[in-house]
Amino acid sequence: MIEVRALTKVYGTVEAVRDLSFNVAPGEVLGLVGPNGAGKTTTLRSIVGIVRPTSGAISVGGHDVERQAVAAKRLLAFMPDEPHLFDYLTVEEHLRFTGRLYQVTDVDRRLPALLQELELSEKAGVLPGELSRGMKQKLVIACGLLHDPRALLLDEPLTGLDPAGIRRMKETIKQRAREGAAVVLSSHLLNLVEEVCTRVLIMQRGRKVALGTIEEILTERPDLRGRSLEEIFLTLTGA
Amino acid sequence: MIGAALYLMSRSLVNATRRRLARLRQPKYLVGFAVGCLYVYWLVFRRSGGSALGPASSAAGEVTAVGVLAGLVVLNWIFGSAETPFNFSLAETDFLFTAPLTRRQVIDFKLLRSQLPLLISAALSALFLSGGHLGGLRPSRVIGLWLVYGTLQLHYGGMALLRASLAQHGVTGLRRRLGTLLLLGAVLGLAGWSLERQLPDLVAAFQRDAAQGYGALAHTLHSGLLGVLVWPLAALVAPLRAAGTPAFASSLPTALLVFAAHYVWVVRSTLAFEEGAVEHAAKVARRLEALRQGRSPSRAIRAPRSTRAIRPRLAATGAPGVAILWKNTIGATRDAGPRWLLLASVLVAGSAIVLSGGPMGVGGRDVLAVMLLALGAVALLLGPLSVRFDLRQDLEMLDVLKSYPLSGREVVSGEIAAPVALLGGVVWSCLIGVFVATVARRGDGLPPLGDRVALLLASLPATVAILGVLVVLQNAAVLLFPAWMSVGQGRAVGLEATGQRILMTAGSLVALVVTLVPAILVGGVGLAAAAAAGVRQGWAVALGTVSGSAVVALELGLAVHFLGRVFDRMEPGAGVGPGA
Repeated sequence: MIEVRALTKVYGTVEAVRDLSFNVAPGEVLGLVGPNGAGKTTTLRSIVGIVRPTSGAISVGGHDVERQAVAAKRLLAFMPDEPHLFDYLTVEEHLRFTGRLYQVTDVDRRLPALLQELELSEKAGVLPGELSRGMKQKLVIACGLLHDPRALLLDEPLTGLDPAGIRRMKETIKQRAREGAAVVLSSHLLNLVEEVCTRVLIMQRGRKVALGTIEEILTERPDLRGRSLEEIFLTLTGA
Repeated sequence: MIGAALYLMSRSLVNATRRRLARLRQPKYLVGFAVGCLYVYWLVFRRSGGSALGPASSAAGEVTAVGVLAGLVVLNWIFGSAETPFNFSLAETDFLFTAPLTRRQVIDFKLLRSQLPLLISAALSALFLSGGHLGGLRPSRVIGLWLVYGTLQLHYGGMALLRASLAQHGVTGLRRRLGTLLLLGAVLGLAGWSLERQLPDLVAAFQRDAAQGYGALAHTLHSGLLGVLVWPLAALVAPLRAAGTPAFASSLPTALLVFAAHYVWVVRSTLAFEEGAVEHAAKVARRLEALRQGRSPSRAIRAPRSTRAIRPRLAATGAPGVAILWKNTIGATRDAGPRWLLLASVLVAGSAIVLSGGPMGVGGRDVLAVMLLALGAVALLLGPLSVRFDLRQDLEMLDVLKSYPLSGREVVSGEIAAPVALLGGVVWSCLIGVFVATVARRGDGLPPLGDRVALLLASLPATVAILGVLVVLQNAAVLLFPAWMSVGQGRAVGLEATGQRILMTAGSLVALVVTLVPAILVGGVGLAAAAAAGVRQGWAVALGTVSGSAVVALELGLAVHFLGRVFDRMEPGAGVGPGA
């Protein structure tokens, strides 16, 4: 579903991502981990089409993100680490706006259920300025899920959520993957990655350090066997 | 504490200056800085006349100064808000509110920090008012203005705290305004009563000579009940008006007394301040969220508001770009409910009725037509500069826009459609209103009714074409030169930013002329052809206008296509945002 080939992104003289390649198949959850400045967010933003790769190619559902951007983006949902909302649209209006962008014909039917699921029903008519950080995050999640995306990109998805919200978010990720969505999850919470992800991509200074299931990584590095993901991560990144 | 404030001020000033100077290595800032310097030179030093502050020591100067000051105070009494004037920055909130400082120390800190900008403003004002003569920078005048600005700041602060206190005790909204108006009415009534008795003498003095008139008025301001009312204002402006050092020295104590009284008043309003601070702290949390999102915090910290505004419903299907138009229309009209429309209509109609009873002997509908025409012209020419519900605002959220399944062309067309549609609605309403108001008029240099119908029909596409050009130019500027434009509600400051704005304005004007030339040529040909074919004058003009508008529409289409490609290539962080 998501195919990244030799992705390189350079900002001025800084090489944020270098020669990165990986695939994410439908139903798979890929955990993107790495220290600060490893290039995780740049990778996600390149897949979404927010930034253009300096070189390399990215496709989503067979659509090239650069040349067939609109078709690729229709399949995607990106949930950034900070909820970016329009100050002057209410919760419900955000969902209607998103519905129109993604041509969700049955938005009227989906709205109440989605609001209910994310505990936003009572906030449907309020502006983002009146929402807590967690509520805003929930609204972004609701907007992302409204069009049943085939590929989900999540950047630190648990930030700001309460324990119930965290549990629900984890369930949502697993449920979407079970339904065939390809998920890429970037997080510093290694226990979340361990719990939810089927494969892990460890990055450092824009490069791939390791990619595969925990077992595959351990096969390549038998000296790390018996250690936790956190210890594996720290060893591989030299932190 | 004072040492800490002074340290913060001095280091902030040094570091900010150093940063600005470092930026000048980049050509875009250097050019902007040079143009900004030229502009300031032209603004301040171009006048070769005598010192504008020279007559300040005269009676006319005193009357003017007191009048301006009184006007500012009255405006604040009527329109001021209850929001705390002590706008602490995030860093100030984090450091000061958690530090072992008393509330009074926090206020002192804030007041002290604000003195440097006030002093700079006072120096610039003195220079400007002196017509560029460096003599205007006399310390006495700068200090005099500084005292006025500082006292006004304290007065505004004290009034805001008073309002906050009243609100805390349940005296809100209309009741609070009513109280203010009653108090104001009483003060003005007393002032009027005092003046009325002196009126014949004042009129006689003005009839003899303006200087004598002002002298008599100044004397009245210092006598009787009016003298008591005006005393704080007169005392405050006295150092500013002082002709020499002895006069300045003698007037300074009373001005300082007024300043000190305000200071005590503000410091004593601690309870209200506490409430304001708590409220402010909550707002800061929300502001932090907004800033983290790269947006201006001003909207995010707004209190809950009614959503019963004019809101069109968005269909679930159709062109996705329409969603952007809908979003921006919602944003622009969020605060404009039917109440505002009604109020505007009543104001226009009421003004027309009042003005029609004036000495010009014109009918109410004529006055209404002129007012609507003026309103329409303002909306047409200035509206595109001030209504920023397009890329000028949304470019702050470039990453969000770019994640949408829309082409750059769709995004750009959706963005520019909102201000064009909204302003077009206002302009069209005004034009139709003018037509309706004058429909019954015959003669008096007005074209026949048939021609007026033709002109009305022609003006509709023409005005939209002009709006389109102006809005596209603004959006093109923000897309092509994001580092030179203010994005969102933030506004870059400094000489270099001023210079950049001047260059952008000049560039936009040139682009506007270049855009309109082909349209005018084609329109002229259309007009000539229609006239040659024997079409009535009004309809010939209409045909010319419509053909010119069609050319503009074609140009706009090409421009949107081009800007869409620019948008597709654009990346967050590419100079987007104020001060970038």
